Amino acid sequence: MPATASHVRRAAKRLFRWCVVNDRLQEERARAVMQEILKSKRRGFITLLSEFKRLLTIEVAKHTARIDSAVLLEIDQQTRIKDGLERAYGEGIDSQFSQNPDLIGGIRIQISSDVYDGTVRARLVALGASFGIRSA
Amino acid sequence: MPGLLEELESQIAGVRATTAKQNIGVIREVGDGVARVEGLSDAMLNEMLDLGHGVTGLALNLEETEVGVIVLGDYTLLEEGDEVRTTGKLLQVPVGMGLLGRVVNTLGEPVDGKGPVKSDLAYPVERMAPGIIRRQGVNQPVQTGIMAIDAMIPIGRGQRELIIGDRSTGKTTICVDTIISQARLNRAAQEKGDKDYRPLYCIYVAIGQKESNIARIMTVLEHEGAMPYTIIIASPASDSATNQYLAPFAGAAISEWFMDHGMDALIIYDDLSKHAVAYRQVSLILKRPSGREAYPGDIFYLHSRLLERAARVTEKYGNGSVTALPIIETQAGDVSAYIPTNVISITDGQIYLETDLFYQGMRPAISVGLSVSRVGSAAQLKAMKQVAGQLKGDLAQFRELAAFAQFGSELDAKTQAQIDRGKRIMEIFKQPQYSPIPVGTQVAVIWSVQNGYLDNVPVTRVKEFQSRLTEFLSTRKPELLQKITVEKALSAALAAEVKAAVEQFKETWS
Repeated sequence: MPATASHVRRAAKRLFRWCVVNDRLQEERARAVMQEILKSKRRGFITLLSEFKRLLTIEVAKHTARIDSAVLLEIDQQTRIKDGLERAYGEGIDSQFSQNPDLIGGIRIQISSDVYDGTVRARLVALGASFGIRSA
Repeated sequence: MPGLLEELESQIAGVRATTAKQNIGVIREVGDGVARVEGLSDAMLNEMLDLGHGVTGLALNLEETEVGVIVLGDYTLLEEGDEVRTTGKLLQVPVGMGLLGRVVNTLGEPVDGKGPVKSDLAYPVERMAPGIIRRQGVNQPVQTGIMAIDAMIPIGRGQRELIIGDRSTGKTTICVDTIISQARLNRAAQEKGDKDYRPLYCIYVAIGQKESNIARIMTVLEHEGAMPYTIIIASPASDSATNQYLAPFAGAAISEWFMDHGMDALIIYDDLSKHAVAYRQVSLILKRPSGREAYPGDIFYLHSRLLERAARVTEKYGNGSVTALPIIETQAGDVSAYIPTNVISITDGQIYLETDLFYQGMRPAISVGLSVSRVGSAAQLKAMKQVAGQLKGDLAQFRELAAFAQFGSELDAKTQAQIDRGKRIMEIFKQPQYSPIPVGTQVAVIWSVQNGYLDNVPVTRVKEFQSRLTEFLSTRKPELLQKITVEKALSAALAAEVKAAVEQFKETWS
């Protein structure tokens, strides 16, 4: 069977689905799949690996929260945010905190496609957009 | 000043900073007017998306891990990795009387250089067609001014009548003549202060046409004084496939404003063949499965949901209407091809234009045998029904006998008379471009033919007879034509008046 792009995509999707049990990604299974593909070196294995990686990235992003703040947050602030995220999105959310002075003030939380942007920079951009000024 | 400062302070104190949740995605791939965006888990079908750089798009493909977006604007400004946001809005176009006389693009932006469009309201481009309960039967005529159509293939307000034929057979000309005819009727009623007359506003949607053609049509409409009652939506061949795909829906939204406000609108889609091709291009780039002739599987639904928006609604909903005249271009006269058969099955009849008739000098080149109006005489003035009722049958017989007569055999007097009558009827149906004929004149001319007043006029002089009769009636008997238009039926007394007028004219004819 020729390894066409659509075949490879379908194969990657099947392998990915095997790695997800009860809506959670099983790391051991994902590792096993990766090892097996590398070992087999079947036709189109690089494309298969790339597609598998893309699906894994999307799945990991669903359970990863990126929290950017203008100043470093205190431990209790971080804990409150983590608890809030777990209440909204379920347990097992991997929270990554980082500092970004360009935000000026406030916090930006992104988890998968959802963004909660309470930063001063975002408000200034929105204000500018209302006057027809586009940010760079 | 102190009062202003206090007010500002209280406003600042009252401000509550809130954080709204946004749904974003990232462009993974962009090209050919389509962007594939990863993320956007909350995107809805046909939702407008903000692609950044002042560019918007429509979400058309909702897949498991990404969204296929068609770009409304310059897609070359977009790059892989750009953030995309949902807006929670549908694509809308400005609507209202402020669009009359204007030429706009698919998004309702003016392209005629006459400044911004005056509009307070916007309608969504994609909208559900009126339901069954909201509709009422079609029984008001659209006077196209083309005798062959008004007599034998009458169109009513709220009907969908397809105009189908090969290239250069006069499809657009029929539509332009209809617009000019409506403009003349609208103006005449306006000047007379006729409150009972319902003006018909026209919307011409140019899809994939040459810009020179659109410019020529606009010039003709301006010259004939039709532009104040017309809106042109231009999506020329140089426009993106996305804009060509959306243009008819934008036109339908604009026409629906008239219907919702108790007015009548006529919308011309020129042409839906190019529209289908644009949709095919968009679907193939979105990697949707292709079917027959590489068209996507929902090509029928594309046209059915568009044409179902033409309707006549009940008194309760304003008694307005939208009449649709879609145009389809066939190849080598093949009406059994995919897109033509689709649209024929959707519409309430078709006007079929034949190349052979066109080159024989029969213009408009309407094939009476293959053309039909499923609404029929319900949408015809009673006077026209009275005089033109038998025309179709007479012409059908003429066509059969004419083929028979080609063999040169001797014919009996009755057969010869039928053939002669048929030739004269065909002659009176020839009509020059941009010259719509008022209904009163049509009735008088057809009455003359059906009652034998042209039987002794040579076929080659029938057009001359018709032209001079028309001139005689409009200059010496304008009140008679007016009576026919007002009374709408030929009573015995009125028929006698018509007879007297025609006989008076014939005395002067040589």
